[in-house]
Amino acid sequence: MAGNESLVKIFGAKNVLDDAETLEEYSGDFSFVSPVRPRCVVKPKNADEVQKLVKWANDKRTPLVPVSSGSPHFRGDTVPGIGGAVVVDLSGMKKIIRVDRAHRVAMVEPGVTFAELIPAVEKEGLRLNMPLLPRKSKTVIGSMLEREPVVMPKYHWDISDPLACVEVVFGTGDMFRTGQAAGPGTIEEQWAAGGAQKTPYGPGPAAWYRLIQGAQGTMGIVTWASLRCEILPKLEEPFLVGSAELDRLLELVHWLVRMRLVNECFVLNDSNLAAIMARKFPGEYQDIKDTLPPWVLFFNLAGYDYFPEDRVSSQIKGVSDITKRIGLEADKAVGGVSAVEMLKMVKRPSPEPYWKLGGKGACHDIFFITTYDKLEGQIGVMNDVANKSGYPALDMGVYLQPIVQGSNCHCEFNLFYDPQDPVELERVKELSAEAVNCLMATGAFFSRPYDRSARMIINRDAAYVDALNRVKTILDPNHVMNPGKLCF
Amino acid sequence: MALSKDVYKEFEDVVGAENISDDPAIKDAYRSPDLTVILPGSTEEVAAVIKLCNKHKIPYKAQSTGWMLFAPTYDFIFMDLRRMNRIIEINEKNMYAVVEPYVISAELMAELFKRGMICNVKGSGSTCTALAMSGHGHMGMTTSTGDRNDLATEWVTDEGEIVRLGTLGASDEWFCGDGPGPSLRGVYRGGGVITRQATKVYHWPGPSEYPLEGLSPRYTLSKKPSEMNMMVRYFSFPSIGKLIEAELKIGESEIAFELMGFCPSMVSSNITTSNEEDFETLEQFTREVQGPGFMVIIVGNFDEDFAYKKKVLAQIIKETDGESLKAVEDPDAEATLLFQCTRVCASIRETFRAGGMFSSMMVQGQRYDNHVRWLEEAAVLKRELIEKGLVIADDGQQFGWGEEGGHLGHTEIFCRYNPYDEKSSKAVQEWLAKVGKRALDGCFAVPSMGILPVDVIGKRASNYHIWFGKLKEAFDPNGVGENTGFSYVGADTSGVHTSIYQKPEKASPKK
Ligand SMILES: Cc1cc2nc3c(=O)[nH]c(=O)nc-3n(C[C@H](O)[C@H](O)[C@H](O)COP(=O)(O)OP(=O)(O)OC[C@H]3O[C@@H](n4cnc5c(N)ncnc54)[C@H](O)[C@@H]3O)c2cc1C
Repeated sequence: MAGNESLVKIFGAKNVLDDAETLEEYSGDFSFVSPVRPRCVVKPKNADEVQKLVKWANDKRTPLVPVSSGSPHFRGDTVPGIGGAVVVDLSGMKKIIRVDRAHRVAMVEPGVTFAELIPAVEKEGLRLNMPLLPRKSKTVIGSMLEREPVVMPKYHWDISDPLACVEVVFGTGDMFRTGQAAGPGTIEEQWAAGGAQKTPYGPGPAAWYRLIQGAQGTMGIVTWASLRCEILPKLEEPFLVGSAELDRLLELVHWLVRMRLVNECFVLNDSNLAAIMARKFPGEYQDIKDTLPPWVLFFNLAGYDYFPEDRVSSQIKGVSDITKRIGLEADKAVGGVSAVEMLKMVKRPSPEPYWKLGGKGACHDIFFITTYDKLEGQIGVMNDVANKSGYPALDMGVYLQPIVQGSNCHCEFNLFYDPQDPVELERVKELSAEAVNCLMATGAFFSRPYDRSARMIINRDAAYVDALNRVKTILDPNHVMNPGKLCF
Repeated sequence: MALSKDVYKEFEDVVGAENISDDPAIKDAYRSPDLTVILPGSTEEVAAVIKLCNKHKIPYKAQSTGWMLFAPTYDFIFMDLRRMNRIIEINEKNMYAVVEPYVISAELMAELFKRGMICNVKGSGSTCTALAMSGHGHMGMTTSTGDRNDLATEWVTDEGEIVRLGTLGASDEWFCGDGPGPSLRGVYRGGGVITRQATKVYHWPGPSEYPLEGLSPRYTLSKKPSEMNMMVRYFSFPSIGKLIEAELKIGESEIAFELMGFCPSMVSSNITTSNEEDFETLEQFTREVQGPGFMVIIVGNFDEDFAYKKKVLAQIIKETDGESLKAVEDPDAEATLLFQCTRVCASIRETFRAGGMFSSMMVQGQRYDNHVRWLEEAAVLKRELIEKGLVIADDGQQFGWGEEGGHLGHTEIFCRYNPYDEKSSKAVQEWLAKVGKRALDGCFAVPSMGILPVDVIGKRASNYHIWFGKLKEAFDPNGVGENTGFSYVGADTSGVHTSIYQKPEKASPKK
């Protein structure tokens, strides 16, 4: 504990960890960033402790690395960028502060996982717009702060959704609340006046939460966040559409999302769908994959409180008009996968082991935002790069998620590999660097840059970086917040 | 204070002699004797003008379409962006349109209708800029709001630097405005000039052109709305509680294209063509309605969808004891409301015609039910002004509308009055201040801008004014742009509160 006495004063001895094993655990992850051992790990219990810590860090000019979700981590953003850092592990802050059915909003602390929040909101007749099968340890706040794509594009009005308001301790040590939560009054007073912490932007002309999102912990530490929730459907009717022709499927996706006919809606390739559905690798995985066409679209129709059967049947009519026009057919099963089973899966976090790890033990994701018209070309580029490097493109997972109500599409390549095999590991590492470069040349937009390419991606536009640095100077003038990430 | 000849010449060199003026007649048209008007034609010219403003420490202000009715109070460079009037791109597949600041919603909507699409039209109507950055609108249930529709954006900062947000900076494309990393959509409303912006657009199952017939000012449609799978109704309720219940149910069941909480006076202004007719109609409506109400527009994507939505609406109205206003069921009135509310957007008749001016207290982005208690108090205070004959005698009610399927919303109450009557103007200002103060004291909301000093509000809202002041300082070190930028989310900087951001040792606008 030598040197960490002042931290012990804030957190108590059992919440300041500096044993070798713990430090080792927090010094690296599945990404390819170089491991850096932190000075210690602290486990705050409340916002007050977080604020004290940030003030302490400013005094001592000590880097802080906030982390909400439990391991395994994948993207390098929670690996210290420089030595001597204190990792701020918020996973113990687990309060579900409020679930408000009338306002369709929930408020949670940073350690609350999807697995924990889902039943709490369901009890109130609500549901979350989730990322696709997050790992069990993934926290809701962690996912929202990273602007992770969610599976119901219809309810994804803005790329920042479903995040609503946050309480944040800026890098200066000041506490701030964003959006409707900012004031007037305390949160409790706002509730008493009939309000909820729902509107994200403001106060004033700035949208402060947008500066915290996507920042990888470089602007401040979020101590709670509120998020919009959707109504729990009374009736659901999921479908699968298989095809070898991606452009046709994407045409269908466009119309389904555009006309707001569907809730969950995304496309997976055969490898990813099999990886999600298989419980045993490689046998069951391969069996399922063999039954599947190259691409499968999953979508789900829903009826709510009023005449749910009528609604779903009218939607089925709408969907079948479109599928007929495009020349595709929606089914209850494709190959060995049933739509109903798939729906069950996407409403929950991934079963253990995490679907990306079940097959080979590790997975490296390359993801970006793009438009429908470019997707086929970009997938072709990725296939070429993979094949050339010796990684069979056919083994690679692909996940296409329409986002922002169809204005664009999240495209994700999942490179499954065996971390114990140095050749495979090196291949994926090299291949990913090469792929990012080639994909950028095709207009792939790496809006959330992580890992070794992050700096190269963000530094390409000097005016943008200059503007970000001006914000950083205000919110974290001493650069205590996660130094070494993004352009900071 | 006029610019010196030399300085004037420097600006003239950027935009050309025909695009700069300090002719008194022109200045008058811009509502101030103290400004120099400049009409830049491109992003580069905007940047060059702002750089010169920095060089000479001259404040500037930009205007897209001027609907904020900003009244200049001191001398500066006034950048009217009317030459930047091109629709750059409409991307149907990816559902966005890219516009320059002087493209108005009416122009963009005309193009979008042809493609089966629509955009958010601001509350001030379709003659307002189509830039996503600015304003909420009545169709927010379907078309979201200004603060959430912007995608990639070209932003000239108060120092004249061109910053290209999202995909624009990365690959010269328009489909995403956020990142890499944190999103500068968080700051650009604080200052500088938006020169081009992509806005989300939405599906429109209606006709590619309305079958308009009749003569100005009385147009209607040659087809009944129901023949186009559309329906407009106005419902009144026995109580606010019932109205809110209905509004929430309609939002949650996703059946409304628009849910606009018009009070009867707003409906009557919109379907009449003169004040006389308006007040007669209002009297009739006031007799017919049982209490507060709202207008709903239902739009079917196809027959079954239309039938389903109507069925749900009928059920909700039954459960909440709503009553339909018969006058609106008349297909002619219905058609007028339909095209006005979806293409023209309604505000002008309901705000300016009766008295010449209106002043509002509004909260944007938060649901009606959050604020109804506070604005009921405001309505009581407003009725006192009506009784004293200081403001137009309408029904005195607050109103609101739903946004994003009822996740968000808008609440507002306004007084219409004669701006040349000093007593009326003063009474309205005092009413606004009282209602604004109540918003803070009752912990309801940040009141709309310009009503209370920003530092009074800021202290009650996480000291955001201090943080915003720091952003201003970081992006505008010479203090030339303190009066530009746009916000409808609580108090902003638009000319009203310059004092707290102003640095006298830097640019020094002459009051
Ligand atoms: C009758 C009426 C009803 C209204 N109802 C509503 C409503 O319901 N909801 C709502 O949100 N608003 C409403 N408004 C206000 C109107 O929507 C906004 O004022 C709208 O944003 C005006 O846009 P504009 O381009 O005409 O603004 P302008 O008056 O041109 O400018 C407004 C502000 O933005 C700045 N600005 C303008 N263009 C740019 C640019 N390109 N880059 C940077 N800054 C710029 C200006 O300097 C100014 O501070 C209403 C106005 C009226 C008159």
